[in-house]
Amino acid sequence: MDEVLVRDIPQPTPESQPFWDGAAHGELRIQRCNACERFWFPPSNRCQHCWSDDVEWRTVSGRAELYTFTVYRRAYAPALKEQLPYVVGIVELEEGPRLVTNVVGCDPDEVRVGMPLRVTFRDIGEGFALHGFEPR
Amino acid sequence: MYGRTAAIVGAAHSQIGEIPGVTSQGLMADAAIAAIADAGLTPKDIDGILVRGPDDEYAFQQQLGERLGLNVSFTTSLDNGGASQTLSVILAAMAIEAGFATTVLCGYARNSWSRTRMPGSRKARMNQSTAARTREWRDSWGYFGEPATHALGAQRHMAMYGTTKEHLGHIAVSLREHASRNPSAQMQAPLTMEEYLDGRAIVDPFGIYDCSLRTDAGGAVVVTSLDRAKDLPHTPVIVRGFGSHNNLTGWWVGDNMVKTAARQSGEMAYRMAEVDPQDIDTAQLYDCFTYMVLAQIEDYGFCEKGAGGEFIASGALRLDGAIPTNTSGGQLSEGHVEGMLQVVEGVRQLRHEYPEHRQVPDARLALISGHGGNTVCHTTLILERG
Repeated sequence: MDEVLVRDIPQPTPESQPFWDGAAHGELRIQRCNACERFWFPPSNRCQHCWSDDVEWRTVSGRAELYTFTVYRRAYAPALKEQLPYVVGIVELEEGPRLVTNVVGCDPDEVRVGMPLRVTFRDIGEGFALHGFEPR
Repeated sequence: MYGRTAAIVGAAHSQIGEIPGVTSQGLMADAAIAAIADAGLTPKDIDGILVRGPDDEYAFQQQLGERLGLNVSFTTSLDNGGASQTLSVILAAMAIEAGFATTVLCGYARNSWSRTRMPGSRKARMNQSTAARTREWRDSWGYFGEPATHALGAQRHMAMYGTTKEHLGHIAVSLREHASRNPSAQMQAPLTMEEYLDGRAIVDPFGIYDCSLRTDAGGAVVVTSLDRAKDLPHTPVIVRGFGSHNNLTGWWVGDNMVKTAARQSGEMAYRMAEVDPQDIDTAQLYDCFTYMVLAQIEDYGFCEKGAGGEFIASGALRLDGAIPTNTSGGQLSEGHVEGMLQVVEGVRQLRHEYPEHRQVPDARLALISGHGGNTVCHTTLILERG
């Protein structure tokens, strides 16, 4: 099989850099609009709801609920083989937005839609950390 | 308002399956030439080309024109993924009514089976066609592949409505039953529920039989005015109505992965065609994964939202069922040509071309769907026997 490039190290954009800086400090930071007071994700230069450019970064609670998930039983790249089985989930933060994550700290067969989760971070080198969510 | 003035007069596909030695362009040409001949037309009649190929093949429609020696007034290639092919028929109908073209070739071809066996293809596939913004928020967590995206929807549907793995199994089994009567289908051997449940696990809840095929094939149709269609050899298949909806906010925003864009797209098409779901005789749905059939059967109103599992388990998709669906075997068993074979099959059913064991009896109205892009684009065609 061909060697497959897996971009384990993210490639931030100017808009997403504060998110990754937060993760490196063990904090989940997302954007909030000062005009309509709502949160959104992924990062962008204007509020996704009201289009205001009066936006700021907030460190959020890291508390979430699992909206849905899947368990990978087959690796899409050789580098992922040793991680099998692993859980990719969509979590809904208490603040509203949903984001992709891994569900960690429990048996993949115990994962359920709706389970309460909290954020955790894993260093992956080169100054980056990735968020995961574990049962709370 | 569209005046129901366009009709499909030619429909064909190339060989379907594992066809080494032919490019996607070659397969497109095979299907195009066959569809023009099926229409009883000649190359000089074609003044529009709306065709598309694999995402990494730039200007596919221009390459086809060069290959076929055709200059045309209207051409483009669409960028809505699997929703593009039904959209091309919609655009053809609008262009014909507006006088922008008279006779339009619509099609799609890919060589997915062959290209995944070329050196370097796996690496190329993992690095193509997904926007950088999407990749930044997926790759690092090991989220790769379209199966996972649809599996997330299936899992949510299961949690909300009690849908089961067996329910999804009935979709795979029913479509394989259709394919077993289709001599062109890539997978013709019958599939039992036991075999389905024992299928190799991919991404929960999907196993191998929940996923569509890697196919080499092209499909094409010719669209012209209903006036002109009356002089051509086949019973015209009238473009009676169409719809489209695109949940560009994202697959995992709101309820989008459970109540898909097929709902609004279908409502628009039913309204334009002045028909109801119970008037539809056969559905040819974009079945990239079993779950998308389940979601669309509900979203198009063939049963209540959440009741799709039991409805399908009752045999609804079979030839004698409540809504005979993907009667050629679909992308799960006939071959995956990004929705183009769904259009071809709808036309053939409405022409009453098949022997009794494959024909939907007295089929008068067919619903065709396209779904794709970043899982959020949807298009609907309602076709009528002329």
